Amino acid sequence: MSDLAASSANPPPAGEVSRLAEHLFRHEAGKLVSILTGIFGTDRLQLAEDVVQESLARALQTWPFYGVPKNPAAWLMQTARNLAIDVIRREKSFHEKEPEIITTIEQWSTDTDAGSQPLFDSEIKDGRLRLMFACCHPQLPHEAQTALALKTLCGFSPAEIAKAFLTSEAAIAKRLVRARQRIQELKIPFEIPAGENLEERLEVVLHTLYLLFNEGYKASAGENLLREDLCFEAIRLATLLVEHPAGNQPRTHALLALMMLNGARFGARQDSAGNLLRLKDQDRAHWNREMIARGLFHLDQAAVGDEATKFHLEAGISACHCAAENYEATDWRQILALYDALIAVDNTPVVALNRAVAVAKVRGPAAGLKAVDAIANADMLDSYYLLYAIRAEFEMELGRFSAAANNLRRAMQLTPIKSEVTLLAAKLHECESAEGQIDRGHSQ
Amino acid sequence: MNSEYMLLFRGTGWDKNLSPEEMQSHASKFMAWFERLKLEGKCKGGQPLQREGKVVSGKGGRNVVDGPFAESKEAIGGYFSLTVADMDEAVAIAKGCPGLDYGLQVEVRPVADGCPTLKLAEERLAEHAMA
Repeated sequence: MSDLAASSANPPPAGEVSRLAEHLFRHEAGKLVSILTGIFGTDRLQLAEDVVQESLARALQTWPFYGVPKNPAAWLMQTARNLAIDVIRREKSFHEKEPEIITTIEQWSTDTDAGSQPLFDSEIKDGRLRLMFACCHPQLPHEAQTALALKTLCGFSPAEIAKAFLTSEAAIAKRLVRARQRIQELKIPFEIPAGENLEERLEVVLHTLYLLFNEGYKASAGENLLREDLCFEAIRLATLLVEHPAGNQPRTHALLALMMLNGARFGARQDSAGNLLRLKDQDRAHWNREMIARGLFHLDQAAVGDEATKFHLEAGISACHCAAENYEATDWRQILALYDALIAVDNTPVVALNRAVAVAKVRGPAAGLKAVDAIANADMLDSYYLLYAIRAEFEMELGRFSAAANNLRRAMQLTPIKSEVTLLAAKLHECESAEGQIDRGHSQ
Repeated sequence: MNSEYMLLFRGTGWDKNLSPEEMQSHASKFMAWFERLKLEGKCKGGQPLQREGKVVSGKGGRNVVDGPFAESKEAIGGYFSLTVADMDEAVAIAKGCPGLDYGLQVEVRPVADGCPTLKLAEERLAEHAMA
């Protein structure tokens, strides 16, 4: 370690604090864990994570005194490499393979100052994809897959994952331990699947990334920026996937398009006070045009071949919203057509609820209510606040304020998001005063 | 007149459960703090210590053991050397240490000029001479 300390011993000029790239530690942690897992094996995932954590701790101990090294990523890689060699020499379980492993590690360039890349980018990317396929193995439970991907690939701590998933740290820790055990038991290999196997495995990876994105997207509020980070991590991982021949398929592009087209509208989803804004109240100037353009590019790439997955359809719906100059210009007919197709492949209550909104836009609020009533397995939505918020919307449009108010009260009880409660309360107030006016009208 | 003080950072392993994001944020804050103190001329320098070394004890140094233990609240992880007006100023600076929130302790010690025992003896002698 002392060679490293010496190489960065020149402090930065006084008054010029070296700045670290945003999320550098987190992103490097993800990279390093996948590289080390390639060396230790998937059954020693925890060991790889520990070595990376220790490398970051070493940086934390020394950088504040000596300044940020010229190439921070290379410094971390070099430190991880030295620690890995220590571990391999110390641990009996590596004895047989020790010389082979050490040769591999020593091939990493040790030149941290020249700014050279110690490993080829393509190798690093391959490592990350291998780990992605291991984390998203079909024999791991879904919730374990997302948690493990966030921990190992994205460098989130259990506490951060718990916060983002609105659950307890202990629950996440348990999920992670079980997932790592399962990987050991099943001897899940560190590889990018090929042939027929690839199709099925890719499907699971895409689904996990989709869940990851939605977890961050669905409720989200200014109170918790980490949730937005989940979405950006999902986009990062999906981007890695499309850049690799194994992942470069129409449905991967469709998923990426969907995430980018939705993610592009993040900036406009809340006002300066952090309150969530409905689509119709958003300032579209705050939509990220560059990201929309990238999303549309991937949607274009997705349109190859004859498969129309749910990702294609959802991306299409999102593209319709992005293409509209303002809320009034939204092409609801096209959106409804896409929802009709979506429901044919993914008839879940939440999709059906969203479709009901499109129905109301095209055929009026009464038709919208009818569509809500017709939702299959609607009991799954019983405690979903948006069901009541949407019903209230339709009832209001029909001038039935007392029914609307009842739905709004129910919605307010069910949402955990403060800014949503504020929004619903404002609507409730509107209903109550409208009701009052009607009552006064009757009594006169 | 300015005097010299040492800030000793006590506690190792306090960073164990930090997430990468928190570690980065902490490193940045600590760096900014150190840079500012150097720029203001209040800090002459500082160094981190590696976590483990040897502890020598016993007559003639017969006991040489590994230590301090990897995680300890007492172990010194690094130091700053300050030149400030008085203890109050040194303490005020110590209060700005970004690690405090995570359980790091900062010990503030004036650097003694000369040998304190000898100094005391000289003072006593001077008192006698005056009397």
